[in-house]
Amino acid sequence: MNMPNSSTAPNANEYAGDEVSAIVLDPGYSTTRAGFAGEDVPKSVCPSFYGQIGDDGDSSRYFFGENSIHNPVGDLQIKNPWGSDGIVEDWDTATKIWEYAITSRLTGSKPTDPTKNGLNDANGDAMEVDVEALEQSEKPLEDSPLLMTEPGWNSTKAREKYIELAFEEWGTPAFYLHKTGALAAFASGKASGIVIDVGASHTSVTPVLDGMVLRKGVQKSPLAGNFVSNQIRLSFKQSSPEIPLTPHYLVASKTQVDAGAPAQASYKTFATPPTESFRRHEEERVLTEFKESVVELWPGPGRFSNGTNEEIAKNQPGRPFEMPDGWNQVFSSERFRVAEGLFDASAALTDADSPKPKDEWCIPRLVQQALTHVDADQRPLLLQNIVVTGGSTLLYKFNERLNYEINTIYPSTRNKLIAPGPVVERKYAAWIGGSILASLGSFHQLWISKKEYEEHGSNIVEKRCR
Amino acid sequence: MPAFKDDQIIVIEPGSETTLAQLGLAESLTPARLRVRSRMFPAEKEGEWEPYKIRRRADLSGKPTEGQNGTAEGDEAKKTAGGDDDEVVYEEDRVSEEGAVWPIQQGRITNWPCFFALITHVYNTLNPPFHTPILLIAQPSWTPREHEKLTQFFFEKFKTPAFGLMDAALATSWAYGVHTSTIVDVGKDKVDVTAISEFIPHITGRVTALDGCGGEALTEGLLAKLKSKKFTRAMCEQLKKSPICEILPPGVPVPGSGEVGDQETITNPASAASTGAPGSGAAAASGLGNVPRGPGIDTEVGDEANGDGEENEGVLDVASIVAGGKMSEYLAKKEKEKQDKALAKKKGAEAPKTDNRPVRLPNAKREKATFMYEDHALLDTLKNMNLGTKGMAEAHAALDEGPQKKPQEDQDGEPRSVVEANGNTELGPAISKTGHIRREIEVGAERFQAASNGVLERIADAIHRTISSVDEVNKRSELWESLVICGNGSRVRGFKEALLATLQSKYLISPSSATMFTSEIPSNISTPTGTGANTPQPQLGPHGGSSGVNPLLLAATTAQNPHMLPPGANPLMSSHNTHSSHGQTPTNIKFVKPPEYFPEWKDVGFDEAAFLGAQVAAKVLFVVDQGASKGYMTRPDYNDQGPTGIHDYGL
Repeated sequence: MNMPNSSTAPNANEYAGDEVSAIVLDPGYSTTRAGFAGEDVPKSVCPSFYGQIGDDGDSSRYFFGENSIHNPVGDLQIKNPWGSDGIVEDWDTATKIWEYAITSRLTGSKPTDPTKNGLNDANGDAMEVDVEALEQSEKPLEDSPLLMTEPGWNSTKAREKYIELAFEEWGTPAFYLHKTGALAAFASGKASGIVIDVGASHTSVTPVLDGMVLRKGVQKSPLAGNFVSNQIRLSFKQSSPEIPLTPHYLVASKTQVDAGAPAQASYKTFATPPTESFRRHEEERVLTEFKESVVELWPGPGRFSNGTNEEIAKNQPGRPFEMPDGWNQVFSSERFRVAEGLFDASAALTDADSPKPKDEWCIPRLVQQALTHVDADQRPLLLQNIVVTGGSTLLYKFNERLNYEINTIYPSTRNKLIAPGPVVERKYAAWIGGSILASLGSFHQLWISKKEYEEHGSNIVEKRCR
Repeated sequence: MPAFKDDQIIVIEPGSETTLAQLGLAESLTPARLRVRSRMFPAEKEGEWEPYKIRRRADLSGKPTEGQNGTAEGDEAKKTAGGDDDEVVYEEDRVSEEGAVWPIQQGRITNWPCFFALITHVYNTLNPPFHTPILLIAQPSWTPREHEKLTQFFFEKFKTPAFGLMDAALATSWAYGVHTSTIVDVGKDKVDVTAISEFIPHITGRVTALDGCGGEALTEGLLAKLKSKKFTRAMCEQLKKSPICEILPPGVPVPGSGEVGDQETITNPASAASTGAPGSGAAAASGLGNVPRGPGIDTEVGDEANGDGEENEGVLDVASIVAGGKMSEYLAKKEKEKQDKALAKKKGAEAPKTDNRPVRLPNAKREKATFMYEDHALLDTLKNMNLGTKGMAEAHAALDEGPQKKPQEDQDGEPRSVVEANGNTELGPAISKTGHIRREIEVGAERFQAASNGVLERIADAIHRTISSVDEVNKRSELWESLVICGNGSRVRGFKEALLATLQSKYLISPSSATMFTSEIPSNISTPTGTGANTPQPQLGPHGGSSGVNPLLLAATTAQNPHMLPPGANPLMSSHNTHSSHGQTPTNIKFVKPPEYFPEWKDVGFDEAAFLGAQVAAKVLFVVDQGASKGYMTRPDYNDQGPTGIHDYGL
């Protein structure tokens, strides 16, 4: 049998960790992460986008999950429950998306399943196992404590909504709410640090001291992944001739064409063309690919617009990109420009619909702002632990540029970037931190139990989860 | 605990359509020995399940059927319920699927009691000794909680000494022996796409249970095309499994696609039959090789010729004729047809052979073809009519058009070789092949249009999404170059090739003309932005180091031409091109070659490779590894940790 030795993991019952099998839910603008505490990757990563057919009301149908929102069906609108301020706006749908994230890949038992499939009428109760399952599945989380993450600027109202959701809708026995910033720091093994999180809709800078988020210091800006996407769109539009952006679903088959030549693909026709929002969402896939394979940040020294930097960039080899319709081109210096706005607002491309971003939205300014709210003697400590997280930080040369910018602002301190190499850790840092936290035996005392919630009401979240 | 031996291991792979299982591993690994349709029938008592349809006969005419055991209907093992109580007679009908419950839908277990009953049935059929470890192949859509439930069931019901769960996609990659691959599992009603790198499945981006894309969707596709021709669903299902059904790659014209009208393109085989001369045109000529003699459209002779809609309608749906009491009329007609047919055959033989020989066109060129249809509905109808043995046999003989070489009269009791086709999954040894009533049916070009409802494109899109969601971008090109398409839904002829062609036409990134020749033209010209088409510039390959450019070639060219490196960019360059996240994929899309050292699998194909992989894994885990790397959970482990412990074990 398996004899324990120094290299084997401790037995599950030696520490209290795995017994509870808590679920960690980390909802974000682009994806919703969910998984069991104690694991190193979230098992369930679902898009936060959802499809809707029909207008709001009883007659509309909703579609969740990766499989259903990429289907070019007429009238399918793609929506997102998050508001522009980085706080959930559409609670009803957000609840459904999160529930889908948990039930589809983790628990499996949808609350409606036993009644809906109609198979149980004839079966009776011969199988003991099944009866138990039916009871459990009345509410999706009846036997799992739930740890949720929230953005640092979450409103009190939204926080209360979270806890109500967890206890009333999902019937969880215990709940805790934690800020993404602190959790991302935990994931890197830091109790103190400054967390720079560049996500899809927002960039945030969170100072964390001894595991506590300094709430005043939390800074956010809308310059993040979606901003870069829009910059790419603008860049395509402003280039002459205009670069066409055709998503995959419109193309039946493509033919190879010369660089810059118009595409010669055969296109598909639809009886009812998919909606504008669907098209936009599909275009986003192409832009993601573009970001992955073409976009690059000017790594310094100096900003991209400074002096001869642009000239140097032009002399570097360009990177080719092929659109789904076969159109292709080599992108030279413009691939640096589209992401430059993250660090230098004046370099951002603008047009009538997208005005120049504010200067204080740029990442260096956010860090500066955040640190002004921290005691001066704590700043060196935080600057030694600059945790970089979020999917958009995977932009090529992001870290080099960030390092350069920080060293320019704070030349006298020892600044150290902590950016985990594995992509998974970078993308899901907050979830991983939550997974670590919820599996700690000592975390048990922090849970808000159902009983406490019933006694004190949803307000308890303000007192207990700081 | 004594070590496990090869012959003690059970491997079970539940599927939506067929459940595969085997006790013991052979010296050379074989396809699953036990194949069971994944369905159970509700028993009379609630909550109990039977593996076969149980028909209840409480009729008075039950008497004459007494002596039928071992005769014509050998498949209908009879038993009397309640001892000698003659009034209620039950019989097992091993062919019928009326009222069956399929516990696995789209890979998910939707009816747990039924599923457990199915597994119990499989287990009992295998009849294993006590010291038997079990490896269960888990569908990707099963959740961790469901894994726990299964673990509990296996340990508590079967008291198995060791139990392991293995992901189906991972099992397939084991079978192919590749560490990094994209597994596309085309099932009955769903498709799973899994990217596996270094034997680890990417859970987060995998597409599980993409609905409306499996074999069922292909049947639906056929049905949609053929509904107007009075084809039933069952016919389409069997058509799909027959070798004449084929999926053509995009861009390949469907034969006779100019007009596939109901009447126009049909050359009348009746005229061919009566004159002995082939009709005109390739279609007619090719059709003559095996002139459709069955009750297919437009095959009547003489006064019952075309245009008689009512007749045509009735002809395909023989079951309703029989049920409607017109059987004797119909049989008479059939008899006539058979005689005509024999006549036609004779005449056909006299016809000049030069006409017949060269027109044996490949299926894809022929406009029409015929296939054998096993009419279960008709058989059911006959059974429900309670004909006596003799009546049954006669009807059977009259209606069956299966093999044509033997005399038609006295053969219905004999087992026949069934027209084995693309994916006839009904191979269970328990299910006898007799008793089917076969009819020949002709179809036109519709048989090439099973996937016309966008199935291939949806699967292609799912593959693209799956691979694009793999975080290690440098792995993507390798994933594109090692596609594995498995699952019985992909058995339809041409499916894999068509899918590959779809992928290539939609997603393949061709080398950009702007950078194609750059490594051959030493140049220090800096590129003007925007339209760099005609100003080639030095570069380390079109798509960065990771994507398809031979790194050795690259190194060789640049080493000999140091001036090729652009000025002032050297340090950046090197890091740039080794950076993983740059380079668009795919530049190459390929299938993985199936392994060649499994002779038993070669003939049947590797569509069920997951089972093979699981056998390999079972051998490694239970026999070689003996649990050292926690590949399976033992009973003591289970007693210690309970069902949730299963997550700590596995590959």
